[in-house]
Amino acid sequence: MIDGIGRSGATPLHRLPTGLKLAALALVATALFFVDRPDVLVGAALVALLGLRSTGRRFREIASDLALPMTVIAALGVVDLVFVDVATAASVVPRLLALAFAAHAVTLTTTTAELTDTFERALGPFERLGLVDAGRASLTLTLALRFVPLIVEEAREIREAQAARGLGSHPIAVIVPLVVRTLVRAQVVADAIDARGFPPPRNSNNAK
Amino acid sequence: MNTRDIGYIALFAALIIALGAVPSFPIAGLPVPITLQSLGVMLAGLVLGPKRGALAPVVVIALVGIGLPVLAGGRGGIGVFVGPTAGFLFGWIPAAFVTGLLAMRLDGPGKGMVARVIGLSIAAILGGIVVLYACGIAWLAFGAKLGLGKAFFGSLAFAPGDVIKAVVAALVTLKVRDAFALERK
Repeated sequence: MIDGIGRSGATPLHRLPTGLKLAALALVATALFFVDRPDVLVGAALVALLGLRSTGRRFREIASDLALPMTVIAALGVVDLVFVDVATAASVVPRLLALAFAAHAVTLTTTTAELTDTFERALGPFERLGLVDAGRASLTLTLALRFVPLIVEEAREIREAQAARGLGSHPIAVIVPLVVRTLVRAQVVADAIDARGFPPPRNSNNAK
Repeated sequence: MNTRDIGYIALFAALIIALGAVPSFPIAGLPVPITLQSLGVMLAGLVLGPKRGALAPVVVIALVGIGLPVLAGGRGGIGVFVGPTAGFLFGWIPAAFVTGLLAMRLDGPGKGMVARVIGLSIAAILGGIVVLYACGIAWLAFGAKLGLGKAFFGSLAFAPGDVIKAVVAALVTLKVRDAFALERK
């Protein structure tokens, strides 16, 4: 299985309810798009960075966490500077930085379990309307995570088998048997799940 | 949606995630890293068809949302959703859907090998490149306020690589569907 990025902790941001953090992030992200004043946006970025630092993450760790997004933002800033004007670059860069810092702060302080619980609760009303099935949805997510190491393992076996027969490693020659074998595997797993009577039938009749 | 469908959707979501572990690298000065994950999105549409194909990237995006590092380079978390290149992530859903829809039209029994490869490649190019780039470019242009022209020409640098991925996806799909009978839906 894959470990989540978020960890539990005791800082104020860690203790805020997950739903509140997500709602606040969505609100901030929307609001920032309607602000064009560089001073306000730089202020927002600094506040977000301090919020991120308050989670106990050191600046050096933050820099390495966000290396890729910050490279992208810097590249966009340069493009704006060269092809548009200074004013655009001065609002785009701090806006995107503020978003990146704020979102990373939420990601770091919220565990996967907390997020999963929040999503399930948020799905509740839709489930009562019969639009989604939370049981099947979480089964799909869990299966996907379980299949990742399986695929990596199958790919290694296929490459070894082909190397043993003196074949070189060709991407298509690996990916075709990989997809076929894992399709068969997925089918077997699905049939095994069916045989055990999961997911339990819903009130409405959509068993097929 | 029966349990086998759930298994296939989960499998292709896992394939998209696993392809992200194949080394990817950002090109200097270009705002999107090159990854093989879009190959997985094309495959999902081509092999499974529109509905199930589109649900595979939905699963990946949900896993990103709950903070798992499932994107290329170990990225994940809600930060990705508000970043300048988020359009190329959310675009996976319509991309796989259109790819699957076109695959149903352009590929079928009674067609020659060459016609099938061409049809599948066209499906992967229109869905996996045209639709995906439209979403990604629109987001870059509006979200990053880059302007349509610059977003368009900046993204074009990735098109040659993606055309190769589309043809690879078509060839793989042809062989996979000959070996494993599966109705597209």
